[in-house]
Amino acid sequence: MLRVELATQLARVRTLIALAFLAAVPVLAGLLFASDAGHRNGTQTGLYGASPYSALNHTMASLEFIAPLLLPVIVALLAAAIASADRDWGILRYLYVAPVTRSRLLTAKFAAVAIATALALAVVLGAGFITGLAIFGSHPFHRIGSPNLTSTGALTRALAASGYTLLCMLSVAAIAFTLGLLLPRGAEALAASVAFIVAASILNGQSALRAVAVALPVHYWQNWVGLFEPDAATGLATGSLVQVATVAVCAAACLVVLRRRDPAA
Amino acid sequence: MSSAAAATATIRADDLSKRYGRRGAVDRLTFTVHAGQVCALLGPNGAGKTSTMRMLVGLSSPDSGSARIAGEPVSLGAPVLHRVGVLIDGPAFVPHLSGTGNLKLLWSAAKRAWPPPGLADALDLAGLGPAIDRKVKSYSMGMKQRLMLAQALMRVPDILILDEPANGLDPAEVRALREHLAALAEAGATVLISSHQLAEVQQLATHIVVMNRGRLIGTGPLAEVLGATTGTYRIRPDDLDRALAILRDMPGVAAAAARGEDVIVTAPTVPATALVNALVAAHVGVIAAAPAHQSLEDAYLAMTGGHDHAAR
Repeated sequence: MLRVELATQLARVRTLIALAFLAAVPVLAGLLFASDAGHRNGTQTGLYGASPYSALNHTMASLEFIAPLLLPVIVALLAAAIASADRDWGILRYLYVAPVTRSRLLTAKFAAVAIATALALAVVLGAGFITGLAIFGSHPFHRIGSPNLTSTGALTRALAASGYTLLCMLSVAAIAFTLGLLLPRGAEALAASVAFIVAASILNGQSALRAVAVALPVHYWQNWVGLFEPDAATGLATGSLVQVATVAVCAAACLVVLRRRDPAA
Repeated sequence: MSSAAAATATIRADDLSKRYGRRGAVDRLTFTVHAGQVCALLGPNGAGKTSTMRMLVGLSSPDSGSARIAGEPVSLGAPVLHRVGVLIDGPAFVPHLSGTGNLKLLWSAAKRAWPPPGLADALDLAGLGPAIDRKVKSYSMGMKQRLMLAQALMRVPDILILDEPANGLDPAEVRALREHLAALAEAGATVLISSHQLAEVQQLATHIVVMNRGRLIGTGPLAEVLGATTGTYRIRPDDLDRALAILRDMPGVAAAAARGEDVIVTAPTVPATALVNALVAAHVGVIAAAPAHQSLEDAYLAMTGGHDHAAR
């Protein structure tokens, strides 16, 4: 069933276009700042300011740029489609009479969502690294106003940041997937997911609404940036817990929805 | 298919009921289809045929009663469905995959190694030729229907549940499908079809189940249902008007009416030979005379009261 889910979703033109969009951002950014190779990016600070120094710098700067909006939107697109496409196409009934059990179908869909999310993240990281390598070269990870990171240190932090971002994206994927099961059409699930991401991002930016924002998974998505700053990163554990809790609640909701829903209703 | 398997290949609906909100779809429906039978599930639109079929393949849970296939209760994804070829609610495919890609997908979803045992025969019946490797989104309605039938038949099922299988097929394709299903039933398969094409059903079905407003209103072997009009004869005289006058005056004749060049006579107590002799004695030539079986359409309309749209 996992192969079925992957074959039906990853071979779609719109999936390939979405992934191409994700890859295009690091490529375009690299071309835009090619003339600054080895120098600070204007007056920018943090990862953006150091992006032209090395391939890994460019990779992490690309992730910081894409992770708050474009990446979650694409992940939501993939997850909502995996949840609802077979129902939209009508083949769900033929899968059930194939026969496939509900639990097997749901397990395959969960696995497909995880793979699609990891793939989307890998496209960003891969495009960023390859572009960075071609334009800025392989150099030590540069930090503005701080000593460079060792290769091992930089790689370890990059892996930790990627893992944390993957967890964050899995939470948005879980929300989109649940909406995909709940709502009648995939397009509605995608619209609702994007609306959630945008609304949550706006809420997160309002200091007066901090009490609400801390309950949203979005609030913690950029915490990994602290891994590349001189001070110790904060909020990663809390952020991870909120993402895991979101995934768990959504998975439970999916189980309830799928078990109670009459596929012919 | 082994004879042991065929012997248990029954479809059984036992006191099935289903409601969607306030609307009753199926109401205490009971019938059985045995191996070797082609049973047609008939009824007006909204009679509950598709709801019944959905329950029989586990896509819908009955509110009460039970659906069994080969003696096993049916639920969503039940293992017994491996034995069942299904076409329900029309064809459905992944539009950006080819015909073959879709068949592979639906086959391998149940952890089976490609190709299925009846693929060649099923594709032959579908008759899609090179189009089988084209994306399904470019298919016509008829091509999709044929591909869906291939999907149902490629697993060589000993039980078939087909909702409107002849939809979108041309006359030659309908005939090929009829012959294929008849051959499967002859080999011991159990076939349940729903259809509005009564002339077609009459040529294929051995048994019928007629529903209206969710309820069973008639069931039995087709021959018995159609032969229920004992004492009705179709006579073709050489002088229609005189034949009508003579027959209407005969004692024991309940009714005599013209239908085309024939007279349909209802005379339960009068032997057919007496009717013919009366005409001949009056110098009216008789070209043909035979018991008048009603058509399935007549029987169906009589049973359903001519309601074509039960849901309205």
